[in-house]
Amino acid sequence: MRVLLIEDEQRLAENIVAALRETGLAVDHAADGEAGSYLAEQGVYDAVVLDLMLPGKSGQRVLHDLRRKKLHTPVLILTAQEGKDSVISLLNAGADDYLGKPFDLGELLARIKALIRRAQGVSTPALAIADLTLNSVQQTVSRRGQRVDLSPTEYRILEYLMHRPRAVVSQQELLEHLYDFDWEHHSNVIEAHVSNLRRKLNQAGTEPLIETLRHRGYRLRGDGNAP
Amino acid sequence: MTNRISITRRLVVTVLMLELLSAVALIGAMTVHEREVQLRAFDASLMAGAEALMGAVQDAEDAADNVMLDMRGVQLPQDATFLVEDEKGRILGTAGDPPHLEASASDAPVFRNVDASRRYRFVVLRGLRIIDPGQANGGAHHTITVVYGTRTGHMWHEVVEAIRFFAIATLVLMGATALLMAWLVRRGLAPVYELAREAEHISGKDWRFDDWRFDAPASAKNTVELQPLAAALEAALERVQRSFEQQKRFMNDAAHELKTDVAIVKSSLQLLSMNRRTVEEYIRGLATSVEDFTRLEMTVQKMLTLARLEQPSDRNNSGAPRPSSSLCGVMEDAVSQCTPLAKLKAITVIFDFNDDARVAIDSRDALLLCSNILLNALQHSPNGGAIQISLTVNEQVARLTVQDRGEGISERDLLHVFEPFYRGDPSRSRKSGGTGLGLSICKAICESAGGSIEIANSSTGGALVTVKLPATRAESPLIPQPSASFKA
Repeated sequence: MRVLLIEDEQRLAENIVAALRETGLAVDHAADGEAGSYLAEQGVYDAVVLDLMLPGKSGQRVLHDLRRKKLHTPVLILTAQEGKDSVISLLNAGADDYLGKPFDLGELLARIKALIRRAQGVSTPALAIADLTLNSVQQTVSRRGQRVDLSPTEYRILEYLMHRPRAVVSQQELLEHLYDFDWEHHSNVIEAHVSNLRRKLNQAGTEPLIETLRHRGYRLRGDGNAP
Repeated sequence: MTNRISITRRLVVTVLMLELLSAVALIGAMTVHEREVQLRAFDASLMAGAEALMGAVQDAEDAADNVMLDMRGVQLPQDATFLVEDEKGRILGTAGDPPHLEASASDAPVFRNVDASRRYRFVVLRGLRIIDPGQANGGAHHTITVVYGTRTGHMWHEVVEAIRFFAIATLVLMGATALLMAWLVRRGLAPVYELAREAEHISGKDWRFDDWRFDAPASAKNTVELQPLAAALEAALERVQRSFEQQKRFMNDAAHELKTDVAIVKSSLQLLSMNRRTVEEYIRGLATSVEDFTRLEMTVQKMLTLARLEQPSDRNNSGAPRPSSSLCGVMEDAVSQCTPLAKLKAITVIFDFNDDARVAIDSRDALLLCSNILLNALQHSPNGGAIQISLTVNEQVARLTVQDRGEGISERDLLHVFEPFYRGDPSRSRKSGGTGLGLSICKAICESAGGSIEIANSSTGGALVTVKLPATRAESPLIPQPSASFKA
């Protein structure tokens, strides 16, 4: 999952970016409204964390422009401004959540994850497809009750696929949603990670969960109790 | 309820008092006039009575040609008293108990008031009666004296009646006037009540709306006497609201600033505790947290400094000697303090001090003033630029100017640069450094010392800060060279 942080306060942004990366999210950071607006409108983000007081373009305008372009990326507003009125007007303008400064970092992370989950149509951190379960808070994966150890990238690929069972997910889409601009990335990196993931998930007597569709991408087989 | 004054009551009482005074004067005048009229009428009737008596004197038809009083056909009031006598003192007729009254020498009728058991008024009439004027000797001449009087009680009763009627009518009229006036005055004062009612509705809630203005009712504005009050009220409320808004803005900005700093500190520590880390990571994280704390501390310190400076100064009252410092020396300290930053940006700082001045600011605040202005200039100077500082003393006023060669200040910002937290950008980006309190602090320092600070764009480009402070020329310049220039 990939998150965009639009925050002009350098130190605060550094901390939030570091925390988001540690929870397994890809993060891009924009330090002003113009850049933030441009990035957000690329439509590759699963959530946007938006500060209100921004140089160049205010947070309200960024949000307004984003919604006007019919982009439904969940937006969490982060601000030090007071007042119920501004909360109401922001929510009405298309914001999904609101957190006042100074905030609890853990709460911010939980809210961002909840926003991402809901945008994907899931309401709890536990995902289950066939005999595979994934907990996005503990970042654990198990198959038939047995823990599967995954690398961070493998975990992120699986999490993304589990949010879209039975859908074909292209390598490009995976790249866009799993990596931020700080990463060196190529599509064959994805290929390597997916093959590792497939190998780790394979257990004796089970059918492969991840299908590869040539030139199209990957698909998670969601037979049975898909959400 | 003591000392309460009612304009209505006052007006009504004043008018009633005036009415009463004029009524009393009128009654007095009327009494005099009425008495005069009644008296004249009374005298006329006395005269008529006396004339009738005189007419009743007839020839006695005797040899001595005497006269007698023939009362037939003479109608006199019952209380009439009279005495008719001839020149020999012979009493021709009498009624009652008339006093002896002398006639006047000129035979004109004489009126006299006599206080006996009852009050009487008499007329003394002397007339000539000629008996048998057709005889050769011209008839017998008799000088008849008639003293005729009636009681005056009736006349006085008439006068008192007239006065009583007039007094009662006046009282009734005054009562009616009082009621009518109370109503009219109350009606006339309606704009006052309306203004009061409007003012009564002002509440703290109104301040929340930025565009709220107190609008005095039109009735008050159109009343000549109330117009100044209404205008003053409007102006005062507007001033209060402006300062209220300024306070609110300051509070919001201060809260924003503090919350941001606290958010940084908190997130730094929470990030550090999110996962288990190596000792090196902890050390690095703690060092960053301390830095973040320092920034928070600086913000708080600046706010407290500003709050202290904006307090009304009480040091003039205390016995302590007035603090003073040398501007030249302080500026030198400020320059040396800023040297690292100047070096980093390769900025030349040029001193041009011909004089030194002692100003009534304690050295700590003076240093704060100089270093804030200098830092501001450094921050807005391009790399490799120059800053020119000069000080002149003229007629007890020290004029300190600091000029940079930066991009200058936009027209819009010129109006606001001294406002707390104003950074020339609504986002309050901290890239340019500082909390936005520096120039506000400078202004507070200058104003507490009775001076002023201005900022303008100089003709050669860049910003020009001018500080004017009341000063005394220092005995000896601290800088030996009149002009010093060095590459900081």
